[in-house]
Amino acid sequence: MANVKFMNPFVEAAAEVLEKEVSVTTERGALSLQKSSMTSDEITVLLSLVGQVQGVVLYGLSRATGIKLVSKMLGQEFTDFDNLAQSGVAELGNVITGRATVKLSKEGFSSEISPPTLIQGEGITISTLDFPRVVVPLKTELGEITVHLALRETPPGSDSGRNFVPVSIQLK
Amino acid sequence: MKVQYLIPFVEAAYEVLKAEVNIPMQRGDLSLDKGAYLTDDMTVIISLVGDIEGIVFFGFSNEAALSIASSMLGESLMEMNGLAQSGIAELGNVITGRASVKLSKSGFQSTISPPTMLMGKGATISTLDFPRVVVPLTSNIGKISIHLALREATRQGANAALLKVPAAPGIKQT
Repeated sequence: MANVKFMNPFVEAAAEVLEKEVSVTTERGALSLQKSSMTSDEITVLLSLVGQVQGVVLYGLSRATGIKLVSKMLGQEFTDFDNLAQSGVAELGNVITGRATVKLSKEGFSSEISPPTLIQGEGITISTLDFPRVVVPLKTELGEITVHLALRETPPGSDSGRNFVPVSIQLK
Repeated sequence: MKVQYLIPFVEAAYEVLKAEVNIPMQRGDLSLDKGAYLTDDMTVIISLVGDIEGIVFFGFSNEAALSIASSMLGESLMEMNGLAQSGIAELGNVITGRASVKLSKSGFQSTISPPTMLMGKGATISTLDFPRVVVPLTSNIGKISIHLALREATRQGANAALLKVPAAPGIKQT
């Protein structure tokens, strides 16, 4: 089950990283637990967790927000969401997730993260099939980042990932 | 990317497709791609974590996915429903799992993530600074391509979080 106890480390990590890298304060919006597919943002950063917690973390944001974030992060104005900007946004997801896993390991759930993958496309919908995911909107003055957590505690003795499709992303 | 990471995937794909769906596949010419991947009808994304890290994805055309899912489930499917999607995801999972067992025999331990499905043509997937080897497989049921963006791990587990955002190329640090 997607577990809410996995959520706080991500929210804290996101707030800390955003504060440090782009000096913005983060406000958490209303949480929701979603099963159905939902229209996602223009840019999605995807990272997997492997270990005592397994599943997928997605960071959704608009292209405009992505450009604002990297402009501030790298200290130069971006007008286009080019390779450098993509790499910056992906790295932001990487650092947030990495920091969250350190927090999770302090609570006794150690896990490793995969390198980030960036998905872009108009009208992408993300669904987790019948696996409920926790959705946390994070509001900053540069725009909103939506964190989707499709995580579960790894069942003992199970093969990693077997028969567990945490996320399905659909294009219109 | 070294060929020694690549061969296990090609072998595993061949073996699994033969065993699960009994479809002979021919391997096309390999290519190295640095740009983003424009998706086919269906894409299964799986990450590797461990001595070898990175992303593997499998692109399927609709016909190929339908034939494979039909053959796996032993019934003729007309559309990619939830069951068919989960079958295709499982196929990617089994191929990657098998490849990671082969890799571990050559001394590279890695763990695979659960699969993620991406449905629909025309999204772009970027593996960022990982160059991507494309392995096209052709068969009489349609196109399948395997994309491997892998490297030997440069970081270990939780330490990854302690990395700072690296200096981006072309930006002067003052």
